[in-house]
Amino acid sequence: MLSKSQAKLFFLAGTAVFSMAFLALTVDSLAQVPGRSNEAAMTPAVVRGKMIWDRNNCMGCHTLLGEGAYYAPELTRVYTRRGPEWMRAFLKDPNGMFPGERRMVAYKFSDQEIADLIEFFQWIGNVDTNGFPFKPDLAPPAPAAPVGGSRLASAPSTYKTLCNACHSIEGQGGKVGPALDDLRGRYDAVTLDKWLSDPQAVKPGTAMPNLKLSPEVRKELVGWLLPTK
Amino acid sequence: MTYKSQRIAYLFFATSMLLLSLQIVYGFIMAFAHMGYDVLHTVVPFNAARATHTNLLVVWLLSGFMGAAYFIIPEEAERELWSPKLAVVQWAALVVVGVIAIVGFHFNWWEGRKFLEIPRPLDYLVVVDVLAFLLNIGMTAFKGKRLHTTGMVLFVGLFAAALLYLPGVITFENQVRDSYFRWWVVHLWVEGVWELILGSMLSYLLIKLTGIDREVIEKWLYVIVGLTFLSGILGTGHHYYFIGTPKYWLAIGGIFSALEPLSFLGMALYGVTMARRGGRNHPNKMALTWTVGCAIMSFVGAGFLGFAHTIPQVNKWTHGTLVTAMHGHLAFWGAYGMIVLAMIAYAMPKLTGRKRYSGWVPEWAFWTSNLGMLGMTGAFAVAGISQVYLERKVGMDFLVVQKALQVHFLGLVLAASLFTIGIVLYIVNFIGYGLPRAELGDASEDADDDNLVPAAAE
Ligand code: HEC
Ligand code: HEC
Ligand code: HEM
Ligand code: HEM
Ligand SMILES: [Fe+2]
Repeated sequence: MLSKSQAKLFFLAGTAVFSMAFLALTVDSLAQVPGRSNEAAMTPAVVRGKMIWDRNNCMGCHTLLGEGAYYAPELTRVYTRRGPEWMRAFLKDPNGMFPGERRMVAYKFSDQEIADLIEFFQWIGNVDTNGFPFKPDLAPPAPAAPVGGSRLASAPSTYKTLCNACHSIEGQGGKVGPALDDLRGRYDAVTLDKWLSDPQAVKPGTAMPNLKLSPEVRKELVGWLLPTK
Repeated sequence: MTYKSQRIAYLFFATSMLLLSLQIVYGFIMAFAHMGYDVLHTVVPFNAARATHTNLLVVWLLSGFMGAAYFIIPEEAERELWSPKLAVVQWAALVVVGVIAIVGFHFNWWEGRKFLEIPRPLDYLVVVDVLAFLLNIGMTAFKGKRLHTTGMVLFVGLFAAALLYLPGVITFENQVRDSYFRWWVVHLWVEGVWELILGSMLSYLLIKLTGIDREVIEKWLYVIVGLTFLSGILGTGHHYYFIGTPKYWLAIGGIFSALEPLSFLGMALYGVTMARRGGRNHPNKMALTWTVGCAIMSFVGAGFLGFAHTIPQVNKWTHGTLVTAMHGHLAFWGAYGMIVLAMIAYAMPKLTGRKRYSGWVPEWAFWTSNLGMLGMTGAFAVAGISQVYLERKVGMDFLVVQKALQVHFLGLVLAASLFTIGIVLYIVNFIGYGLPRAELGDASEDADDDNLVPAAAE
């Protein structure tokens, strides 16, 4: 049977061989990192954003590249999921966007810091992660694009950059709030404007955020959401 | 206890007990936050609670390992500790650094790297402290009459753990590289060098408690740690699937990490067979129960539950979800928590001369804590699998899914309460032992518990 010195040899030789293999693969992996992570796009703003991420231990609630905590959303692809305008509004007041929901720390970021964080998220969104996070394979199929062109194409830019992260039209968009296809009949221009200016006043406890929109922007949105015919 | 200076171990064991209690408090804070009661949010936000929870875990385990080393190494080297004074200073320094780090977390002073949150200046102090510790046990071993294999594997494990901490004190601007080297610490610790510490502590306890011949035990120790490194080093690849590293890690990490359970299976078989085969009837049954329990639970938590999500085809869905937390709890508990508690259960009667190892308190401590931990694992498993299904497979919004999971955290809290009862009983028993007694050095009346006729084994 196996003797103690043979067992020792097995341990020492195995450790040596596999350590060498690991070091060799590490050298190769690190050589590929600049390309796969698009290091050329790592501007000083991206690096500053990464440092803000580190200093505040955002990873203590969120995951990034699937690493971190399981209390808050995975953020690797947040830039494409929500878009920069939405993120700017969110990071300006982290507790305002999802009233009544699980809370993020109410950071008081400056505009510069917010811009840096967004740059960081845009950069990491382009890292080649071998597909992670994967497309949900059991999701209900997205509705086919409507005949005659999508209504979304004609949406005001505020709708595309802010509302669309949470709401959908003709099956396209976010899934935090309800679809906004059939507002006509349930809303008139005045109540809809009131809703957009202060949702809590209309429906206390609602999860729709107050996005602090100017009267002009509200007018444009109401006009588009409630077309006259 | 054979050597007076082994008494130092008590300081470390008592520290472990205190930190474990605190860790549990922070676990409850997070569990309530997951249930929707984040009442402490403004004082202890989730990220502060989490950093505190996991760092307390690491520190109470390290403190337990250090105590174990101060207890084991003098015996293995057959001499007193090189410098008991340095050991006390080193203990005090560990406590001070730990307290500063934990307080700092509550004031946003940390680094955002999971498990390595301790801020940079304190990292250096940790390194100095660990060097002092290694110097002390190293000199003891070096000046000793001999160093048995068990003692040597323990020393090598502790030394390599200190070495592998170093990649954790480098700053990386690229998140991908940052993550790559974070795993050199986290993975190569728990699935590499810490297994040496685990294996050697397990061997030591089996030698003492079963009376099986050292040569036999130590031969299998080599086989087990050989399997650990054979699979575990390239197994690091199971963390390199989706972080921006090359595609070949999917294959390499998948294959080698799938082999990792072998060394845990080895430990389980080893623990159970040796305990069965040992002819000796050691009076400290609870120490043996914890030892064998550790060998089995480490296989379940690390080996089985690790395997459950290590294959890339599974991990692509479960990566970074509560499924990971399920595995993390049982693996840390079964492998490292239980070996420290086994060591303490063995050492306390030796240190104090009191025999508080029979009766319902130590027994219930074992069973309720383990059943509680299995329950917690179950709660995390149900929550995790539901999360994977609803969020990752069906594509529902994160917050909507989390609402649906709240009820499972009620389950977690209930199971955690059971676990806590077990730990409270264990600590009550620990306190009941009182302080170590100096006069027990050398000629203690219970020293011969271990020296009954050794059983024959091939
Ligand atoms: C205490 C936990 C916590 C910490 C710390 C935290 N967050 Fe959050 N974050 C949340 C939660 C919870 C949400 C989900 C939305 C909500 O309920 O506000 C969220 C949402 C977000 C979102 C929007 C994600 C989406 O898809 O809706 C971004 C972006 C974000 N956080 C960035 C950060 C950054 C950057 C930091 C660090 C500076 C950070 N978070 C720190 C808890 C946290
Ligand atoms: C952070 C996500 C979020 C954003 C951004 C958001 N909403 Fe909402 N919205 C919601 C939620 C959630 C509800 C459901 C509120 C409720 O039922 O209490 C809602 C409800 C509504 C409703 C009422 C729908 C109905 O069926 O009664 C309208 C109209 C609406 N939102 C319009 C908008 C517009 C226009 C914007 C862009 C300016 C916008 N929302 C931006 C989350 C959001
Ligand atoms: C005692 C040994 C072990 C301990 C203490 C342990 C603990 C942990 C912890 C805490 C994490 C989370 C790490 C992080 O995200 O920073 C983790 C992740 C992981 N572990 Fe282990 N583990 C052990 C052994 C194993 C083994 C043997 C396997 C495989 C067979 C395994 C497979 C995994 C995988 C695949 C992940 C990544 C999960 C993800 O993608 O989110 N582990 N482990
Ligand atoms: C008894 C009460 C406990 C409770 C209620 C509890 C609860 C929790 C919670 C809610 C998390 C955070 C998960 C997330 O990020 O959302 C966590 C993380 C963690 N806990 Fe505990 N815990 C307890 C005890 C323990 C013990 C005894 C251990 C180890 C032996 C442990 C090890 C860990 C680890 C390793 C993590 C990080 C997991 C990961 O990153 O995947 N916990 N715990
Ligand atoms: Fe691992």
